[in-house]
Amino acid sequence: MITLRSSDGETFDIDEVVAVEMQTIKHMMEDGCAESVIPVLNVTGKILAKVIDFCKKHVESAKAEELKAWDANFIKVNQATLYDLIMAANYLDCKSLLDLTCQTVADMIKGKSPEEIRGIFNIKNDFTPEEEEEIRRANQWAFE
Amino acid sequence: MKVDQSIMRWQGFNIDVLVKIFQSLDSIELTSSVAHVCRAWRTAACDPIHWKVFDLSKLESIFIKTPIQPYVYVAEQSDKFLTRLLKISLNLSQGNIRSLIFHFNLYLRDDQLAYIAERCPQLRRLVMPAWNRITKNTICEAIRTWKDLESLTMPSLANTSYLLEEISKNCNNFRELKIMGPCHVSFADSMVAFLPRLKILSLRCSVLLKEALLIILEGLKNLEVLNISHCLLIESWNVDGPLVPANLNDESILNAASRLREFLTCTKEPCTLCQRVIEDEGLMRWYKYEEGLWKQDEVASLSL
Repeated sequence: MITLRSSDGETFDIDEVVAVEMQTIKHMMEDGCAESVIPVLNVTGKILAKVIDFCKKHVESAKAEELKAWDANFIKVNQATLYDLIMAANYLDCKSLLDLTCQTVADMIKGKSPEEIRGIFNIKNDFTPEEEEEIRRANQWAFE
Repeated sequence: MKVDQSIMRWQGFNIDVLVKIFQSLDSIELTSSVAHVCRAWRTAACDPIHWKVFDLSKLESIFIKTPIQPYVYVAEQSDKFLTRLLKISLNLSQGNIRSLIFHFNLYLRDDQLAYIAERCPQLRRLVMPAWNRITKNTICEAIRTWKDLESLTMPSLANTSYLLEEISKNCNNFRELKIMGPCHVSFADSMVAFLPRLKILSLRCSVLLKEALLIILEGLKNLEVLNISHCLLIESWNVDGPLVPANLNDESILNAASRLREFLTCTKEPCTLCQRVIEDEGLMRWYKYEEGLWKQDEVASLSL
């Protein structure tokens, strides 16, 4: 059994086989940190719980179709949670979760205009006027 | 404080993660919007990993066939759309494109090819099946820019010596050629003359003169892989009657082919592709068949 502690102090006991789904934890275990509690500094309890759920499910279930359906349901979260899940998957180096979350964001982006994308993700257009002009020129229909 | 944080999140995203997200988008999706959202996203969109292969094979020209040269007329809107797409994407690619893939119905205009050539100096592979609107000058100039060119997929042309000569002078690593159409005897002669180091050749799904085949087998001493799957092998052109088929199991052919590492022919009986080549009289009309069928090749490095 491995114990993880989130950034806000919550602890989680998990099987080793689940812990190694997260490469970062796996390396820490190999480096001899497994005896005590492993601090997961960048991830809150709420998100770490979800990541652990994901890893547990992926360790337990081998059937691709079943996993796919479960994943589709798992990822039905609000944008803030999705962002947190990506950051956690990246920090913990959990490939399958990172793949799932990145694909979900890619699907949100497809077919949208820049303005629409900025709206969805609350992004500010920070191009300088010169850069905007360059982009405008590149978007013309003819070679200059 | 919390509200401010959430505003900055997707904008100040870790670039590596953004790059990973964008890897799920295809070439056209990448150019149409993500690069214009904000500076961080633009930086991620320019990452070389997205531009190694620029695959435009989903794009076709809006055109009609015409009875006089160049035998196609492309709608102006279609040209404009492609020009715009090329400008944006080649700008983002920052010279990192290594493979360029076009659909057989994408009729590049001469100045578009010139524009592309200048901005893809590291090109290694070109798949460009439609050359109707391309001039000799432009393609030669392009070849001169592409010193690292290794692989070319091109249409069948009557006179190719100028082209192959240019390749032999400029492209030291050139090793692989695919011809989408009949290989004339003159083309075979040019290959032997100018591409002695050619390793891989695919002539699949076309009519093939036995004479041309023998020229290739005997003349290209460094050839390792020859693909003539689903080819209609003929003894000679017979203008007045049906094509006279030749026997692939002819001793002269088998002897000459024995030194090849891979001599790919079709052994399936019956074979749909072979049937279609016969129906189309040796000039495969890809537009009639399943989308993407033209992309296949028994040679892995040539398959798309």
